[in-house]
Amino acid sequence: MTDQADQSRRNFLYVAAGGLGAVAAGAAVVPFVASMLPAADTLAASKTEFDVGTVAAGQLVVIQWQGKPVFVTNRTPEFLKEVDGHDDMLKDPDSRHIPEVSAAWMDTPEKRKYRSIKPEYLVVVASCTHLGCIPLYKPTAGRKDWGDSVPENWPGGWHCPCHGSLYDISARVIKGSPAPDNLHLMPYKYLTETKVLIG
Amino acid sequence: MLQKMMQTRLFGWVDERLGLGDIIRSQMTEYPVPKNLNYMWNFGSLALLVLTLQILTGIFLAMYYKPSAELTYGHYTVAFDSVERIMRDVNFGWLIRYMHAVGASAFFVVVYMHIGRGLYYGSYKGPRELLWIIGVVILLIMQGAAFFGYLLPWGQMSFWGATVITNLFGAVPVIGDFLSQLLRGGFSVGDPTLNRFFSLHYLFPLLLAAIVGGHIHALHTVHSNNPEGIDVHKESELINFHPYYTVKDAFGVGIFLLFYCYVIFFHPQMNGFFIEVDNYVPANNLQTPPHIAPVWYLTPWYTILRSFESKLLGVIAMGASLAILFVLPFLDRSKVRSARYRPVYRQMVILFFIDVITLGYCGHSAPTPALKLVGQIATAYYFLFFVSLLFVHKFEKTKPLPEGI
Amino acid sequence: MNLKRFYSILVVAAFVLPSMASASEEGVELKHANINVADKEQINRGLDVFTNICMGCHSAKYVTYKDLMDYPEIGISREKVDQLRNDKPLTAGLITDLSPEDATVSYGKVPPDLSVIANARRGGANYIYSVLTGFEHDPNGKIPDGNYNKYFPGNRIAMPDPLGYLDHDPAETANLEKQAQDVAAFLTFISDPHQNQRRAIGVYVMGFLLVLTLVLYLLKREVWKDVKH
Repeated sequence: MTDQADQSRRNFLYVAAGGLGAVAAGAAVVPFVASMLPAADTLAASKTEFDVGTVAAGQLVVIQWQGKPVFVTNRTPEFLKEVDGHDDMLKDPDSRHIPEVSAAWMDTPEKRKYRSIKPEYLVVVASCTHLGCIPLYKPTAGRKDWGDSVPENWPGGWHCPCHGSLYDISARVIKGSPAPDNLHLMPYKYLTETKVLIG
Repeated sequence: MLQKMMQTRLFGWVDERLGLGDIIRSQMTEYPVPKNLNYMWNFGSLALLVLTLQILTGIFLAMYYKPSAELTYGHYTVAFDSVERIMRDVNFGWLIRYMHAVGASAFFVVVYMHIGRGLYYGSYKGPRELLWIIGVVILLIMQGAAFFGYLLPWGQMSFWGATVITNLFGAVPVIGDFLSQLLRGGFSVGDPTLNRFFSLHYLFPLLLAAIVGGHIHALHTVHSNNPEGIDVHKESELINFHPYYTVKDAFGVGIFLLFYCYVIFFHPQMNGFFIEVDNYVPANNLQTPPHIAPVWYLTPWYTILRSFESKLLGVIAMGASLAILFVLPFLDRSKVRSARYRPVYRQMVILFFIDVITLGYCGHSAPTPALKLVGQIATAYYFLFFVSLLFVHKFEKTKPLPEGI
Repeated sequence: MNLKRFYSILVVAAFVLPSMASASEEGVELKHANINVADKEQINRGLDVFTNICMGCHSAKYVTYKDLMDYPEIGISREKVDQLRNDKPLTAGLITDLSPEDATVSYGKVPPDLSVIANARRGGANYIYSVLTGFEHDPNGKIPDGNYNKYFPGNRIAMPDPLGYLDHDPAETANLEKQAQDVAAFLTFISDPHQNQRRAIGVYVMGFLLVLTLVLYLLKREVWKDVKH
């Protein structure tokens, strides 16, 4: 064997060993990174069943879904009326800015307005889209119940105590709020007349 | 390849600011090593590899492990539950945990081979006394880390092993109770013990990493011994660490990984040798398992402990059996290092290896009168080996040492 | 030579001592259970035995109802899971309805959880199979019928003969032994539910490492040609 051939054989073996070593190291990284992703039991807890029938008319309940707070409100006919008449005050009245505020079932203008499968039961993620605080529920219109924490033409909805973001009764963000978007929706469906599966 | 990399501009930039080139040259590409090292010299780099794997897998396990002895349904505890969650629900948790559990045993296999090589070829003798002593410190810290780690799953073996060992400290006169309470943080092994053992189990490997640095520094000061045990100065007998020993160590790593992965993927419990059967039974402080023995790597010392009728003597003997390793370089007065040229020492040291394996076997098995006697004889030889080194050189006719290697 | 002798001692020690150790363990020899932890049908039959008989008293709390659908080795339907769990959540473990207090009154102790039982007993599946089919009359006549078990350490067992093995109709023997083996397969599977995946990955890992080690060996030999001995 000549020196030349020797050298190329050696180089080939170096490259082969280095390449295989890199593959081994790369493969070894996979289980470690994967182990940091949510575990099977965490994923199993990623769906929540809830009976909206337990929410009394006009009331709000905060439940947990994937460790996040979720608002479920039972809107009375009076509250449902508050949805109309202030589209000019809203940043995104039709919920089209980003995918998170919309859903596949929003196929009619009515549903876009109420932002819920059944008009009376609104189910939204309870984190203010500004920096994640939980807004306060102030459903009645005007300042009568809320003092000057809300503007004079308050249509009724939510007020975030952290930085003053305002949302209407369909959780759509009102202009002038630091929050950029309407409160997010999450996938949910009705299993029975009142039982919803969230997630 | 390394040469080419060291000629790049980027390397030049870093080198000017870190002096990396000098380190690589003095520690690798121009670090001289005797050319005749055999494969027994691979275990040092393997030990470093296993330490790295243990620290890495340990960090990821700690993301899910919970050190709490609070009871949960079915006599389990939060700690046991968290281990089972790692085994069942965490993505690849089973792999990481088996790597860690098998790695603990692999660490001792590798380190015991490393120590055995040092004994056989006289690597502990001058000028490598401190190198050896630092190594003994590493062994003790490893045993401590392994012992702390074994408590964490909070199974029956965890619990009773910790109970037995913390009781050993109670045998120390006068301050015994103080010591055992200091270790346990209570009057028996319990939740406070588990919490502190977890803390210490995380601390000890970091200590190890630092001391291993010292071990390597000492090695690179006095340089490697070799199978002939003679000093090597001639240029023609020395080769550079890189590439010769880097590729040889890499081949050793390949062989090691074959064994390591085979066990992990096909026999992770190793028939109860690496993860004991009783440790799948949740800890119960009201019922001791019928036969308790420490994990295999601690059994030789356990036999020494059991060989004495008096509890205090047993504890002293066990401590002495480890402590005597520190003074080994000063006990052995022979001028010749390698057992190849010391016919008497060679028989003694081979018998010593068999002796330690016998001690391990006795410690693993349930005590019977016959085994106890075997254990006592083995214990006697363990100490006799070290003590007789003081005298062996006086009558041993060593073979003539070669001129070179 | 020196090195070879050194190696041979260690190799002999490493292989002989563990087998000596296991041979020296006392007790009657267990029956061999014919199980396959990758056999979905056997594991499912074992699940039925477990839920119909064992779960009267025992739990397997680390196995959830959802796991029964998700583990490919079990993979039962949502409908069957709903039948099994009644109103318990999907994420609940397989937990018996017998309360620990009632168990203590009836049997003197709380039956152990069976999630990891195959790992927690020497002999694993063989032990489970042997104990379930080990109910006999005490040859010394001391332990009452139903409490004597040939394979249980100490022979006195608190668990009442679950399969009705004692004095069974000889025509039933094959069926009872099959049930015992099936449930042993199920329990062995759930003791380490990723074991089949582990072995499957292991084959690839070993193959890859063989190639890597071979290349490293050739490289070592190539580089060391420089060194004159």
